[in-house]
Amino acid sequence: MSSETISGPILTSDGIPLKVSLRKAEKRNKIRAFLLVLPLLAFILITFIIPIGDMLARSVDDRYINTVFPKTFEVFKKWDKQDLPPEEVYETMFFEINAAEGYKIGKSSTRMNYSKSGWKSLIKKSQRKFKRIKEGPYKEQMIKIDKRWGDPFYWKALGEMVDPTTMGYYLNAVDLKYDSNKEIIAQPENRRIYNHTWIKTFKVSLLVTLFTLMLGYPIAYLLATLPLKYSNLLMICVLLPFWTSLLVRTVAWMIILQQNGVFNNLMVIAGLIADENRWKLMYNETGTIIVMTQILLPFMVLPLYSVMKTISPSYMKAALNLGASPLHAFWKVYMPNSLPGISAGGLLVFIIAIGYFITPELVGGKDGQMIGNWIAYHLKTTLNWGLCAALGSILLAVMLVFYWVYNKIIGVENIKLG
Amino acid sequence: MIKTIKLAFLGLISMAFVGSAYADITFVSWGGAYTASQQKAYIDTWSKGSGVTVENYNGGLGEVKAQVEANNVTWDVVDVLPDQAITGCDEGLFLKVDQSHFIDDMVVKPVSECISPQIFWSYVAFYDPAAFPGKKPKTIKDFFDVKKFPGKRGIHTWANALIEMALVADGVKPSKVYDVMSSDGGIDRAFKKLDTIKDHVVFWSAGSKPLELVSSGEVVMSLAYNGRIGAAILQEGKNFNYIWDGQVLEQEYLVVVKGTKNEAEAREFVKHASTAESLALQAKYIPYGPMRSSSIDIIKKGEPYFNTGVDVLPHMPNTPKRLRRSVIADPFWWADNGAEVSERFGVWKGN
Repeated sequence: MSSETISGPILTSDGIPLKVSLRKAEKRNKIRAFLLVLPLLAFILITFIIPIGDMLARSVDDRYINTVFPKTFEVFKKWDKQDLPPEEVYETMFFEINAAEGYKIGKSSTRMNYSKSGWKSLIKKSQRKFKRIKEGPYKEQMIKIDKRWGDPFYWKALGEMVDPTTMGYYLNAVDLKYDSNKEIIAQPENRRIYNHTWIKTFKVSLLVTLFTLMLGYPIAYLLATLPLKYSNLLMICVLLPFWTSLLVRTVAWMIILQQNGVFNNLMVIAGLIADENRWKLMYNETGTIIVMTQILLPFMVLPLYSVMKTISPSYMKAALNLGASPLHAFWKVYMPNSLPGISAGGLLVFIIAIGYFITPELVGGKDGQMIGNWIAYHLKTTLNWGLCAALGSILLAVMLVFYWVYNKIIGVENIKLG
Repeated sequence: MIKTIKLAFLGLISMAFVGSAYADITFVSWGGAYTASQQKAYIDTWSKGSGVTVENYNGGLGEVKAQVEANNVTWDVVDVLPDQAITGCDEGLFLKVDQSHFIDDMVVKPVSECISPQIFWSYVAFYDPAAFPGKKPKTIKDFFDVKKFPGKRGIHTWANALIEMALVADGVKPSKVYDVMSSDGGIDRAFKKLDTIKDHVVFWSAGSKPLELVSSGEVVMSLAYNGRIGAAILQEGKNFNYIWDGQVLEQEYLVVVKGTKNEAEAREFVKHASTAESLALQAKYIPYGPMRSSSIDIIKKGEPYFNTGVDVLPHMPNTPKRLRRSVIADPFWWADNGAEVSERFGVWKGN
């Protein structure tokens, strides 16, 4: 140590303490870095966070109908749910239907129809004919206009709407519903479609993930280990279908796999199957799985390849040199090293598969439709966006659960894209 | 090199902006031969004001609702099915239009105040006569009779029309179908009838598919949109036979989307598109049935009317003789019960 001792803080050349100067510089850097990511942040906020928030809100939102029938619901709550509601409920309903302006009634009746089919036309017809009713009592006259006003099931179905938030859409999404007392009960058997579809969706997605892994692993291995001139060719073979339109590939599979298609014809000609026992490989779940596997294969191969490329061949050589059998060496050395690629590819394929829509729509036929198809149906045809949002939110939640489980078992830090 | 790419990119972007500055009417329809017929019948003949941009969609009100709710309407005129016309009109997605110039000329009453008439089309069964060397199927009952006419049937993946057809095949009079469907057990009866062909069906979802299915022998008969069958016969020279008995007629309408930036032009355009002449002209290019009586008169007088020089009326679903054994789809019933029956149909399909 020199004889000079440092007293006081270290100063920079312009006399500011070094600490302060460093802090300033760091702050400037931070702001700059923040400004650089700001566009991305805004982008994510606008295109991702807000829509997801909107979706979550829609899945429980029942405010609209409560702004149209506030008084009716008020008196409705007092009804004991036996037989028919009292005159008071009819009367307020009558006046609130007449008082609603613009499209309020149209929109409300669509909402009411979700809980009991028939509300839509009942309201539409009544709105026209209510002009004839000059004075009370209203109950009798309304039932005279349409006998459905005298059907307790219509009234009981209103029960699930009387609060501004509802779990009704979520219940619907798992084949449950509210009864008139807001107790949760099962849907009638012939409408239980969603649980079945959920299970199918996960089953198909898992199978597709598994098959892409089984098919993709050897391909990726070859890609990573073959000499460049072969592996480039192989890479083109992987990428070419990847660049081909999804619809073209789907339709090509239809031609190959249908019962009078190329594959079955070849099998019959080869005498492997009888003409009358052609395999049903298309327009069912099998078709969906086959076509999705082919379409999603590159999403498995590419991450696997990029990870395998980084595994040094000397590892395997060393293992073999030390006396491991090839299988043992693969299992103990190569496979663990490729695990990050398997994870990345597996998650990628699974996430894409779980929300798949167009392929199941085209080749799913009898029993190959997935939850995405029902979301699309309600989004476009019934306009039941609350149910769409509930289905979508469940899909999101399940995804997060999968991710969490995955993180517990394998660890997120093990995902690698190269 | 990079500079050139950059320039080209900027050029493209600026073109996109300039492009959107023109106020073309955006006309949205189903694509294929159908849109091509609309193009010839009333887009090419539309000379007033702005141009018309044509876009395709896949049905439903999802996109329209999103545009109206976001207050960013880019579709001006849309070609819709009647239950969507009703819902859209009730919910304020479509504008009410002046109907005075066609209302007395329509074959059936318009379903809402927002619509302008387009066409009738139908779900109809058809087959390749080569598949039945002996007796040929003649009625919808035969379509559901796998003992008398063995072989696979092509049907669509959704419930509309199938319920109606099953009931007609089960002996319900076409005019009474919706009474039965609204009564207790009516739907059960339809599903029971559907059960009888369940093991013999191939499902399709794209309109071109049934023609392939029948041509390739994958099925011996199939349901399809009548216009597709007509086009295959008239334009491609295929040899198909229709089973008009028990067909289900659907309607197709034009609507103007609420909040359109080209309201005046869009209103003018739907008026032009729904004149008797425009509708008749459309039938020159596709064998769907116009909804105005006077259009049908024009076609009758003009036979052989189709653009290839043959008669078009034999391929139209709404001739008086055929209507006697047809069901006219009731959009009000489907607006009420569509979701419930569709879920039930999903259960039926999957089990």
